[in-house]
Formats: sequence, C-alpha cells, structure tokens
Amino acid sequence: MTNGASQRELRVVARETKRARVAALLLVSPLVVVAGLGIDAARRQRAAAASDPAVRTIATRLASPDLALSGGSRWLRSLSLEEPWAAFSDGPAFPDPDPAGAAVAPPVEVWTVPARRSSKTSLSVDRDLVPEKREKGAP
Amino acid sequence: MKRSILAFALGALARRKARSFALGGGLVFAVALVSAVVFLTEALRREADRAEDVQPDIVVQKLVGGRPTTIAKGDRERLTDIPSVRSVTARAWGYVFLPSLQGNVTVVGTTDSVHALSTASATLDEGRDLIAGRHEMIVGSALAEFFGMRPGDRLNLPSLDVDAPALTLVGTFRSALDLWTADVLMCDEADARALLGLPEGEATDLAVTLANPQEAKVVAAEIAARIPGSRVVERDLLARVHRLAYGRRAGLVLGATLPALLALLVLAWDRASGVGPEEKKEIAVLKAVGWSTSDVLWAKLLESLLVGAAATALGLALAYAWVFWLGAPGLRAALVGWSSLYPRSALTPAVDLAQLLGISLAVLGPFALLSVVPAWRAATTDPVDSMRG
Repeated sequence: MTNGASQRELRVVARETKRARVAALLLVSPLVVVAGLGIDAARRQRAAAASDPAVRTIATRLASPDLALSGGSRWLRSLSLEEPWAAFSDGPAFPDPDPAGAAVAPPVEVWTVPARRSSKTSLSVDRDLVPEKREKGAP
Repeated sequence: MKRSILAFALGALARRKARSFALGGGLVFAVALVSAVVFLTEALRREADRAEDVQPDIVVQKLVGGRPTTIAKGDRERLTDIPSVRSVTARAWGYVFLPSLQGNVTVVGTTDSVHALSTASATLDEGRDLIAGRHEMIVGSALAEFFGMRPGDRLNLPSLDVDAPALTLVGTFRSALDLWTADVLMCDEADARALLGLPEGEATDLAVTLANPQEAKVVAAEIAARIPGSRVVERDLLARVHRLAYGRRAGLVLGATLPALLALLVLAWDRASGVGPEEKKEIAVLKAVGWSTSDVLWAKLLESLLVGAAATALGLALAYAWVFWLGAPGLRAALVGWSSLYPRSALTPAVDLAQLLGISLAVLGPFALLSVVPAWRAATTDPVDSMRG
C-alpha cells in the first residue's frame, strides 16, 4: 500500500516535471523564434549583399532608385521624382489611367479600353510570338 | 514550488482548452498581421535604400503650371559654373504605355559607357551591353518574358515619332534585379528620345553631381535661383519620400485591419473584466489548501504569459514565412501596388532584433498585465465566500 502510494506520488512528480518543462519551453519560445528569425535574416542579408555591386551598376543608369513595384507612370513608379503632392491624376475627378496604388485593383476595362482606343501606333515583334508565348506560358 | 506553479498554469490552460485556443488564436492573428506589415515595409525601404547612394546628388526638373515638364538642355550650362558642381547630365527617360501590356514601360536613355553591363558583372541574365547608334535595347526579364523575346529579336514600340526605329534586344537584366528593372527598357539616348517624343533640345531632367555632397542644400538654393520654375530634388529628399511613402501605405493597411485588431481587444477585455465562477472556485480551493495570494497571482500571470508567449512566437514565425518565404501573397499587392510587370524577386529581411523584441513585448506586456488585476481581486477574496458563490 505504501509502495503504491509512493509510486503514485512519483508519477505525479514526473508529470509535473514534464509539464513544467513544456511550460518553460513555451515561455522562452518568443526568444527562440526571434533568434531563429534573426539568424535567417542575417543569412539572407549576406546573400543579398553579394548583389550590391550589380544593383549599384544598374542604378547609375536608371533615373531614380525607386522600385519597379507598380506600372504606374505617376509618382507610384518614380515616386521620388514626380508629383507626390498631386491630389488627382490629371484633374479633379479624372480617372487615373494606371491606378497602381489602389489596395484593390479596379476592373481592367476602366482604363484599358480608352487607352486602346486612343493608341494609334502599333506594337509588333519581328517574329511570330504566339507559339513562343504559349511555350513560355506568358500571359 | 515555482515548478509546481508553472506546471499548474499549463494544466489550467489544458483544462480550459477552448478558451486558451480562442485567446491564443486571436493573438497569433494580430501578431502575424502587424509583424507582416512591418516586415514588408522595412524590406521595401531597405531595397530602396540600396540604390540610393549612387544616385545624383541633385535632380532638377522643370514645372509649368505646377506640373512637371521637360527642361531645356541649354539650362545645363547655367549650372556648370556653380562651385562644387562636378557634372550636369541632361537625362532622357520617361514612360510609354503599351496597350497590349496594359501598363507602362519605363524607357531609359543611357549614355553611360563607364559602368558596363554584362553577365560577368551579374547585371545581365543573357546578352551584352548596348552599342550606341545600333538601335539596341536591354529590357527587364519580366518584360522580355511577357513578349516572349530573346536576344536578337526586334520590337516596334508605340511612339509619337513615326520614324522611331524598331529596337533589337541585345540583353535582359538579371531577374534578381527585377525590383529595379522589371519594367525598364534601356536604349541609347537617341532611341529614347524617338520613343518618348522628346525633342533634341529638351531633357526629362538634369542630374547634378557634386564634389562635396554636404553642400547640396546650398547648391540646390543656387540652382532654384538660376532656373526659375524649377523643382530641385536633393538626394536626402528621395530617402525621405521613400520612408514616407512606404510608411503611409503600411499605415493604410494597418488601418484597414483595425476591425481585426479590435476583435482582439474585445478578447483582451474579456480577460480583464474578471475571472469566471469556475476560476474563482479554483482559486478558492488553491487558497484553502495553502497557496498564498502571491502563488495564485504567479499562477495566473504564468497562464497569461504562456498563452501570450506561444502566440507571439507562432505569430512572428508565420509573418516571417508569409513575407519572406511565400512572398507575402495578399499583402504585397496592398502595400506596393500592382502591375502587369510585377517584380517576382524575393525581398531581403530588414528587421532587426530590437524590432522583433519590440513586437513581442508590445503583445506580452499588456496581455500579462491585464490578467493580473482580476486574478488579484479573486485571490484576495475569502475562499469560503468564493466557494459559496
């Protein structure tokens, strides 16, 4: 009987110890994650630094260091050089021909149909592009 | 005793699984969302900064009626004799809208033969640098892919100038440089002028390089005086614009997520407004079997810390994976705009340890504090009263 009681006690202690270990691990988990992410970030930064000379070479030829994040011809593409203060695209209530800054994209037709209509020039590549594009999976 | 309290706290959370998961899930969501926005914004700022120090010290544009227009190339001569000005370059660049692409291509005319582009310098994926006068072009890999072009192919672009020549592709920029070159079409200056409809005597802007960049403000004031109606952009201003632009967008995205964050606050309020009857009874039993008020408070504090710590760790890891491993699907478009020529290259993390720890503490601190007050109230109540309900 005494042996049984002490065995139960031992099991309780072992369970408590296990729980305490898991809890301690959970408590320090943010530190572990932060350290892990820091190491991964440092590794990625070192890898990116290898392309710094190439970035600098390209940048000397570009108009601005702005990132090609959107196709907008307005300040969203070269936001440092164009008109960051513009409240409207070309005038009050004028549709923005390339509203790349919207969080939600408007219907494509909003600006492509007028743009196509007004475009009087042509675009052509001296080669049959269609099979090539299919092959490459281009849109 | 402390080990028992820690074990008890974990056991208590396990007994109230549904509540723990609801609370932890809300926290994970909030931490992941806020962290992802911070990660992405900082990464974009860092990428923009990488190319900044090789840019001209000052860029001069012309404004007419408050809108940018072309500047006379002759204005260059009015600046060359300013002390500290090393060189003034009239640049030809701009945009051509391609209906088939449903977007703009950035056309850059280049006269630079010093910084050669090549596959060896890791600037080109394939091909070679431009040779002036041969009607050649180098395009971003995304643009080349869109048109299905390879070196040797010729392309006619829409232009105001009917005599604009077709350009032969001689190289594509390395895809790792997509963030700067995805929509770029680089050609020699004469071809850029033809494509953009830019007359010979005009330039898009003037790029000024100084012998001493510290004198930029003084020189900028002198330029503004010499060319009335000009807009003089210093390099410092570019850096500020980048910070403001990405910061503003991050703010907008965070603003849009306010409802989700409010939901989290409601959960936190539930935590703060008091412990439930079951928890009160549990505390009363603990006190009846000899736990002190301090022990009870520690147990409750540890319960909160366990949920908060695990949720913070998971939230941070999810946000990092979302942005830097998966490329921030869903979030990237909201923060950086969207385009038919979207750079695909991965972003480099720019977060530092202080930011990561800051986010962790900003979540854990208030969350832990919120749990102490109601626990203290319950712990100081007479156990007999608590058990009677």
